[in-house]
Amino acid sequence: MTASLFSRLDQHQPSNLDSCSIRLNGIEHQVPMSMSVAAALLYLGQRATRTHPVSGQPRAALCHMGVCFECLVTIDGQQNQRGCMRSVTANMSIITTSQSLSE
Amino acid sequence: MTQIYDYLVVGAGPAGMAAGIEASHAGLKVLVLDQAATAGGQIFRNVSHTSYAQQQVLGSDYGLGKPLLKEFMAAPCDYQPLAQVWNIEPHAQGFTVAALIDGRSVSFVASDLLIANGAMERPMAVAGWEKPGVMTAGAGQILLKASALLPKKVVLAGSGPLLLLLAHQYRAAGVTITALLDTTPRSNYWRAIPWLIAGLSMPKQLFKGVWLSLVQRIRVPYFANVTDIKIVGNTQVAAVRFIVAGKEYEVPTNLVLLHQGIVGQTQMAQALACKQEWSDPKQCWQTQVAEAGQTSVPGVHVAGDAGATGGAKLAQLEGRLAAMARVKKSCTHSSWAKKLAYLALSWRIRQLHWARGLVDRLYQPAPWLSTPTGTTVVCRCEQVSAAQITDIAKAGCAGVNQLKAFSRAGMGPCQGRQCGLNLGYLIAQVQDRPMAQVEPLSVRPPLSPINLGQLAQPSDV
Repeated sequence: MTASLFSRLDQHQPSNLDSCSIRLNGIEHQVPMSMSVAAALLYLGQRATRTHPVSGQPRAALCHMGVCFECLVTIDGQQNQRGCMRSVTANMSIITTSQSLSE
Repeated sequence: MTQIYDYLVVGAGPAGMAAGIEASHAGLKVLVLDQAATAGGQIFRNVSHTSYAQQQVLGSDYGLGKPLLKEFMAAPCDYQPLAQVWNIEPHAQGFTVAALIDGRSVSFVASDLLIANGAMERPMAVAGWEKPGVMTAGAGQILLKASALLPKKVVLAGSGPLLLLLAHQYRAAGVTITALLDTTPRSNYWRAIPWLIAGLSMPKQLFKGVWLSLVQRIRVPYFANVTDIKIVGNTQVAAVRFIVAGKEYEVPTNLVLLHQGIVGQTQMAQALACKQEWSDPKQCWQTQVAEAGQTSVPGVHVAGDAGATGGAKLAQLEGRLAAMARVKKSCTHSSWAKKLAYLALSWRIRQLHWARGLVDRLYQPAPWLSTPTGTTVVCRCEQVSAAQITDIAKAGCAGVNQLKAFSRAGMGPCQGRQCGLNLGYLIAQVQDRPMAQVEPLSVRPPLSPINLGQLAQPSDV
């Protein structure tokens, strides 16, 4: 994974959101609870979500509101889930079909 | 046994919430279905859970959603969050709406429908927009509202109030805006002048808009009248190239947020065969409506940005008016006070739509953005380029639905939401036809994805 392009606004303030542990491509991470899966990927620096079936190029979420279908990932074994429409939960497993991008 | 509702509202944004409140207090049996975990729509997304810091950055208009949400949650209507409507069809007693809830398909029957599922951002098909690192401005705002995420450094490109507002919010939060590329064509400003009078009917909003637009020009590296935006990079965004007054610029960045206004989501109304019409000022298809959001299909109404886009305030009023019209239908007589309130509200809505005319003209998309060329990807799902589409259009393709069969454009999982408009524009350009004559993509169920297992086990509530 690469450095995240995003950071939390209230990182240094006491947050009402507790964090939870998820597995992204088999590696455990802590992410703030209630974040969408697509947001959690950005937060963790996973810039691509899937490999495009036609072009073979990496893709990532465009709209974050359920319209574009670019954030499709495997969540707890269920394929082709829109990451932007699901919230992270404790021990969730997320698998992206795209590998890390080089800077 | 299937429960029959008097009124089923799809979407719990400002329009849906207002309709739910109005109709349920008047004694109707109301159900509001919403795809999100909390009500509010995209505009008031997560409004009940945002931190103080988020609210400071998002501003006071966002906070206006709180009292509405509170009133909605207290209203005597049924509200089902996390419900993805995947089918809507006529039924002996009105309409059946099927939604995926917690992995199961559940059907609801209602005598009347209100479609209030809002708008999406107009796709902005510039070269390289399919690369990771490109998102919409709306996505940027959703990440801020729902997840308190801010970019470290960003380039904003496009046109429209949301882009300026986001620039303002990002600056307030200390985000480095590397560049703001404004694609609003200069001619739009001239075209908008006659509409200043309409804008003056809402002086506060007009002042805010002018201020927002001017302040960015001073506070961030701002480029006006930008054309030929290209997003370059190998597997992800590395830089943005663009042209201003014949001169080419390149700005290095890993993140670009695009925006060029919003367009209503017409799929549900189309699925019910509600007549569509091309709006020239708004440059999009919209569901044809008569009084109080009544569509061409009896019993089906639209309110808010799912109809003629107009923003949160207008959506809230339209939702209320549509609900009042539905209540009127069930009442044998209504009091003079109610009749007057109805008339006053519909007059106010008409006035606000007129005022919106200024925004529609000022931020009309630049023509070069609607007709991409060469290798620019138009259909992201099936990876179909602008050149492929123009070739098919040149060969005499009859319309977007035939184009879909020939090229696969519009056949992917987003069901043409990201390419439909541009397919139409390209055919209109090549064949020299007005957009109003290039019919939009047909809509077929499922309206959102459902797997075979879920389809095979439908269950009624």
